Amino acid sequence: MSNTVVTPEKVATPQKGWAGQSVPRKEDKRLVEGEGVFVDDIKRHGMGYIFFVRSPYAHAHITSIDVSKAEAIKGVYGTLTGEEVAALTDPFFQLSTPPGAHLKDFALAVGKVRYVGEAVVAVVAETRELARDASELVDVEYEPLDAVTDARHAQDDGAPVLHDDSGSNLMWEGVYEWGDLDAAFAEADKVVKISELHFHRFNSTPLETDGALVEFNRGTGQWTIYTNNQFPGFAAIMMGPAMRTGLDKLRFVTQDIGGGFGNKITSHPQLVACCLLARKLNRAVQWTEWRTDFHMSMSHGNERWFHDTEVAVKSDGTLLGFRTKALDDAGAWLRYEPLGGVIWAQVTPGMYRWRNIRLEFTQVATNKAPVSPNRGYSRMQHLWFTERVIDIVAHELDLDPVDVRKKNYIRTEDMPYETPNGCIYDSGDYAQMLDVALDLIGYGAVEERKAEAASRGKLVGLGIGSTLDSGTNNFGQSRMINPELQFSGNNEVATVKLDIFGEIVVTLGTTPQGQGHETTAAQVVADILQCSVDDVHVRAGHDSYWNSHAGFSGTYASQFAVTGLSAVKGATDMLAAEIKKLASAVFGGVPVEALELAEGGVRIKESPDAFLPFMACGAIINANNAGLPEDLGVTLNCRYVYRPPFQVPDVEKKFGNLTLTYAAQVHVAVIEIDPETGYYDIVDYAAVDDCGIRINPQIVEGQVMGATAQALGAAVHETFEYDEDGNLLTPNFYDYHVPHALDMPPLRTGNIESPSPFTPLGTKGMGEGGGAGIHAVCAAVQDALRGHGDAIVWDSHNPYHRVWEMLQHPEKTREGVTVS
Amino acid sequence: MEVSRAIAVTINGTEYERDVEARKLLIHFIRDDLDLTGSHIGCDTGNCGACSVIVDGVLVKSCMMLAVQADGTTIETVEGLAEAGELTPLQQSFSDHHALQCGYCTPGMLMSATALLRSNPNPSEAEVKKALQGNICRCTGYWNIIEAVKAVGK
Amino acid sequence: MLLREVEYAKPSSVAEALTILAANDGARALAGGQTLINVMKARAASPDGLVDLNGLAELKGIDLGADGTLSIGPMATYTEICNSAEARARPILGEVCAQIADVQVRNRGTIGGNICANDPTNHLPPLLAAIGAQMTIAGAGGERVVPAEEFFIGVYLTAVGPGELLTRITIPAGKADGFAAVTLGADGTCIANAAASLNGSLRVAVGCVGAVPLVVHPASADDDAVREAVRGAGIDAPSDVHASSEYRSHLAEVLSVRAARQATQRAGT
Repeated sequence: MSNTVVTPEKVATPQKGWAGQSVPRKEDKRLVEGEGVFVDDIKRHGMGYIFFVRSPYAHAHITSIDVSKAEAIKGVYGTLTGEEVAALTDPFFQLSTPPGAHLKDFALAVGKVRYVGEAVVAVVAETRELARDASELVDVEYEPLDAVTDARHAQDDGAPVLHDDSGSNLMWEGVYEWGDLDAAFAEADKVVKISELHFHRFNSTPLETDGALVEFNRGTGQWTIYTNNQFPGFAAIMMGPAMRTGLDKLRFVTQDIGGGFGNKITSHPQLVACCLLARKLNRAVQWTEWRTDFHMSMSHGNERWFHDTEVAVKSDGTLLGFRTKALDDAGAWLRYEPLGGVIWAQVTPGMYRWRNIRLEFTQVATNKAPVSPNRGYSRMQHLWFTERVIDIVAHELDLDPVDVRKKNYIRTEDMPYETPNGCIYDSGDYAQMLDVALDLIGYGAVEERKAEAASRGKLVGLGIGSTLDSGTNNFGQSRMINPELQFSGNNEVATVKLDIFGEIVVTLGTTPQGQGHETTAAQVVADILQCSVDDVHVRAGHDSYWNSHAGFSGTYASQFAVTGLSAVKGATDMLAAEIKKLASAVFGGVPVEALELAEGGVRIKESPDAFLPFMACGAIINANNAGLPEDLGVTLNCRYVYRPPFQVPDVEKKFGNLTLTYAAQVHVAVIEIDPETGYYDIVDYAAVDDCGIRINPQIVEGQVMGATAQALGAAVHETFEYDEDGNLLTPNFYDYHVPHALDMPPLRTGNIESPSPFTPLGTKGMGEGGGAGIHAVCAAVQDALRGHGDAIVWDSHNPYHRVWEMLQHPEKTREGVTVS
Repeated sequence: MEVSRAIAVTINGTEYERDVEARKLLIHFIRDDLDLTGSHIGCDTGNCGACSVIVDGVLVKSCMMLAVQADGTTIETVEGLAEAGELTPLQQSFSDHHALQCGYCTPGMLMSATALLRSNPNPSEAEVKKALQGNICRCTGYWNIIEAVKAVGK
Repeated sequence: MLLREVEYAKPSSVAEALTILAANDGARALAGGQTLINVMKARAASPDGLVDLNGLAELKGIDLGADGTLSIGPMATYTEICNSAEARARPILGEVCAQIADVQVRNRGTIGGNICANDPTNHLPPLLAAIGAQMTIAGAGGERVVPAEEFFIGVYLTAVGPGELLTRITIPAGKADGFAAVTLGADGTCIANAAASLNGSLRVAVGCVGAVPLVVHPASADDDAVREAVRGAGIDAPSDVHASSEYRSHLAEVLSVRAARQATQRAGT
């Protein structure tokens, strides 16, 4: 028998303004108590557990499937095969033009498997263990085919073709060119050529894997999908037509999500399988992805080669332009691709002023897991490329990388700056950020550091990584991929209402995975309504039943501080205006200009004793509204759709503003290499960020730290590498090493604030971090090896064995680099 | 030898008696059979530590113990830390220092930190890092978590 | 992540454990479980039965004899070894155990489990081979003592046969030991490792390069002699995502030299 205890709510004291304060997070209490609700925590009586039978082959025909032995087991509720899926659903909508457009992508493999780990059959049973056991009794016969695992050979004559429907492994290609390349190369004093650079395949491995619990209501035809998908707007658009159902029949419910980082955007195939099974079996079905399944099948980050790069440069280090050929390895299916083929263009020149740029983009399919957004999506790859170019050019021309950056950075006085392809960088001061970062790291003493390390037989290197987080997409850029796509602009929704007892209740269209939306939204609301953040109740998570969502709702692409918070501001401004309108009527027609919101209510400025608390407002409208003017038009329940100011880009010229805001980060890494082994440590690290106005500085800093740690992990350890047969060599955390507390370097942070002139709150979206850590570590390794072979760092992934190789055979890395 | 057996476990002060299959992992028993969903699963190779609990005073990863092995033991999970709705200084410190973002690794981190502070009430930064090495976080980069634990130590 | 059905027994004595193992040839001993349970989760191996050795006092304990010999129960956990005053008689033991995995694993994982698993990347097989440990194995036919160089037979294969149990690890007195590794992250899985022990002559045991630790006896403790001995052993190291064969073989050489240097330094103290 337990005692009931009533714990009083802690009340925060009102501040001068909530924005800019590191207000404690509303989310924290339930999470530290272990009372968060993540999708695997949700249970339904009689639910069936799903286990997917997955392909052991990278490429094979499916010649037969026999589920009879599995289904005969007591406690097994049923199965689902690709054949059924092909009969019950239509292929997922493809964003690409032909040949990629012809892909027939279903919830389960149909006729063929195209990567190791691809789901082939789903088995549903009474317990998790039984589903797993029964899956071993499913007989799938395969006829193996040759596999292609290297994007550079995907278009060779005789290369195995993944999709007969498209006839080739070419999924999309496009040429981007702006400025006058010929003039730039004619004007150049030097042309630096780099034959091959490689950005490797990895992702953010959120600690919680994908999952769902799906119920089907036979009476209404409504599916309720409890899931941790982070972009329900996109999932709905994909699933509805495929399932031949209206979007309103797909209700998405999320609460706590254990990390997303973009990797939880494309779970719609698995969700379709869950929906079909829930309907077929007339019971709730539950799916939790295993770590190994996630690694083998989910959301690998874009792997991209840059070939035949040529850089036009003056002797003093002024960069005039570049040409390159980007080859993107999309894996076996296009799930959000080929949008990666245009999204990089949000940051075409990186942080630099060169105006003459040509990039040929080719995306191919290979027998590897499908690629889809990963933190920094497609911009990170391109920004890494520009940073590598800066460092290699500096190296080859014997110039200081700091000087080359400062000489070429877009300057604060140039802002807002229109890039060669019409994107507008809203604000920023990159040179200042670099100075702050160098100061933090003690740049002046780096030569001493190098000398001291040398006395111990170690090599020290310092590297800079500068990067951008372009935020709030204009989805019109998708038309540059496929002019027939009917997407453009962006939106996000929020609702704010005053309930009958004066409770302020907020719903969001977003799907936070740790970014503290409940808290920052409350800060914005409290500032407008002049109350305490503790009086603002923000509903946890996303529920499409709340009607607080729109086509692009979700949490992705560094945009909440702009789209989500602007929606919150818009709805709260509406509510504030309605409160004043109501008070005006209640006070007998006092003009609204004479009223102000203060101390949890509304009052007449000149005589503040005339005060209507929010509770009174809510009570009047909801329960005591006789006698109010007929045309009052006040409901105290406000829904606002924020729409950023975008135009449809010029598809032919590939010109236009593709994102609204540009947060920036500049990092500096200091590493120490043990040349006998190639082992190295990151011994010092500085990160400086600028995301405009910070609503909650602590939350912003947390994002910078998290992105840094992920980038360092990717730089040194994390890679999704395949053997020639298409087997993933790092299918779980044993071989895919994710950094832990002991791996972290000391961290020094700094920030500047360049408000955005384009957003209602002066905020810029942030969070992805643009891979700055990867750029910095690559630069540091290359710096450490100066004078010790002068290897060029050409790959974004530099584990110990690669550093050792660079020490042993630096000439191999330099083969493709020439200066003329 | 038996395929399943009856076990008795005390978790957060409450006694439970259940029949379990020998093959059931302790973490699945805690989460699925007892509805204590605060402890989480993040991997399948014993690396991530999201399942960390304290068994008879010893910090373990409950994904590498069988439920039958917990017979007769006393277990503490994250749900047992706060008493009567009052957060412990450690839990409060996590919030104060923004040592959690998505919260998925947090229960495991709290149990590892709790175990550390019991045997070492004033740990150095190096000791905190070593104690948390078996807990993966993808959101915070660990720096704030380390500060949060150190702050409780003072 | 989900094990196959398995039978389970929790004997209350070593004799009972041996009886159960002898009667169920599909059964395996369950020590700390930090390797075996992961193997079973992946269904890479699925014993028909598990004989839980946890709680058998006979298999615990770290005793220090008057002559400095350490007698360690195979169920001693890494944490117990790290914290043991007795084990400090051979300091390298605690130092290396402290590098294994993380605190949760160290609290359950055992020295016996580590060497009986004999995963090529494990820390303790090369260490025990270098310091000349002796393993006591009990079975239906009685007890026998097997020296380290005969204990490790193949990948996941040791001299402990079906129906038998490792019951004691005996380690002679000594302090002149060294261990060096390159790991996947701090205190992570070993990419390469080597252990060395100087007791009159030098013994070096290289891990990660073959099915069992490779033991060499360099002509002297000099760097060159160590390198020559390791090179002369003809290592053909496996290659994987973390290291090519060439790189791993190179690391084996470098780490052997470093382990030998550490052993030499400690001989002087």
